[in-house]
Amino acid sequence: MEEKHAIEVTDLVISYQNLKKTSIKKNLLQFHRQKADRFVAVKGISFYVREGEILGIIGKNGCGKSTTLNALAGIFSPDSGTIDLKGHSISLLSIGVGFQREMTGRENIILSGMLLGFSEEEVRAKEAEIVEFAELGEFIDMPVRTYSSGMYSKLAFSITAILETDIMLIDEVLSVGDQKFKKKSYNKMKSLISNKERTVIIVSHSIETLQELCDTVMWMHDGQIKRIGEPKPVLEEYVDFMEKN
Amino acid sequence: MFNRFKDDLKKYWKYAIYSSKAQLKSEIANSYLNWLWWVLDPLCFMLIYVFMFGYVFKSNQQYFAIFVFIGITLWDFFNKSLLQSVKVIKANKPIVSKVYIPKFILLFVKMGVNGFKMCISLLIILAMMLVFRVPVTWNVLYFIPILMTLIVIVFGFSCFLLHYGVFVEDLSNVLNIVLRFLFYLTGVFWNIMDRLPAPYNNYIGKGNPIAFLLTASRDCLIYGKTPHRKLLLMWFVVGVIISILGVRKIYKNENSYVKVI
Repeated sequence: MEEKHAIEVTDLVISYQNLKKTSIKKNLLQFHRQKADRFVAVKGISFYVREGEILGIIGKNGCGKSTTLNALAGIFSPDSGTIDLKGHSISLLSIGVGFQREMTGRENIILSGMLLGFSEEEVRAKEAEIVEFAELGEFIDMPVRTYSSGMYSKLAFSITAILETDIMLIDEVLSVGDQKFKKKSYNKMKSLISNKERTVIIVSHSIETLQELCDTVMWMHDGQIKRIGEPKPVLEEYVDFMEKN
Repeated sequence: MFNRFKDDLKKYWKYAIYSSKAQLKSEIANSYLNWLWWVLDPLCFMLIYVFMFGYVFKSNQQYFAIFVFIGITLWDFFNKSLLQSVKVIKANKPIVSKVYIPKFILLFVKMGVNGFKMCISLLIILAMMLVFRVPVTWNVLYFIPILMTLIVIVFGFSCFLLHYGVFVEDLSNVLNIVLRFLFYLTGVFWNIMDRLPAPYNNYIGKGNPIAFLLTASRDCLIYGKTPHRKLLLMWFVVGVIISILGVRKIYKNENSYVKVI
């Protein structure tokens, strides 16, 4: 069977360079120009993800995991290299994007949904489902500022979980709210992730989560791919490496 | 680029409107009387200027109150939109760092908010014109292209300010000074054409777009005169060109913004 790729990344390089903030005051007072330091976060990585595959990315802090994820989501632009999404819709699972504290929960669903790239009609069609999943009762028609932090994250989670895209990017598997909702949201995440149609990339530090959910694990180190392959051997090697260093 | 702009506009237009409404609503959320400030604010400033320049400095401008009010209304829209656009990326950091959004949409949101307040002021102007029995002529219709020109010029400048505001930390300080200077060169409460000596009034009155638009608005709304049509067209075209360059600049750089803030 020919495998279809959902994402193809070639020679991706992302750096933070020359982008230092400056100010007019500094320019007037400083005659020696500071050298702009260039920090390369991702150093020319290439990989692909098959349709329906679940890819886990692991690595120590600052190895370029989140940068890669942000680039895939279109928030960062790569310095060089290409990201080909083959026309799939993509979203970075993030909580409470664009919430307005004075607006009601219901209005925030629309606002946040539209920001995630859905049309107003699409969001409205899913509104009832979101409201039901969030379990906020009559609070859904109250301003978000009156919410407790748990309620806030319940609503935020429901919006992102129910408005689905072809490719989902997840920065740490989320479970929010009280014990009951935590379980429910974790299960929802799992069912979202394990949906055969959906391509998922998960960034996580949790060995268990990656072991449980992923088909493939990619281990990043200093902006490069150290290993990529079956979860078990890669994760074992990663644990060994981390303990030695 | 034009197609991309068109697609983005189509996709995010509704968000911009919805978000503008949300912000307006937030402003009045705590007290329903807050919307009164949208009326009182320009009204009070007008009274101050009318007192200062109508009585203390004895301006003999006809319909002086309306004259000043038109100035304040358009100037406020221009001034606020520009000042906010410098900080618009930083102010929207939670959005910008989580999802992709064409950054100029954030400008539309701000302009929507300020535009709505401007419309309230325009209604007051209309009411004042009725009260003072200003003779209305067909020239009033020129106010529509004048507003359009104002909007494209504000949008064009805002695009550049949005871009440089990300990289230059103290741009807003400088802008504040520049705008204050411009405020006095715009003739919000005095007539540039009459008060400045001969060649300069022409240079400033026509070379400063906002001063020109103010003069044109007053001419067509209260003095029944036809504004300088060629100049109006010229400023409209200039505004469109600046907007195109600005949108291009944003498209080229917008994905780096989040790395800086």
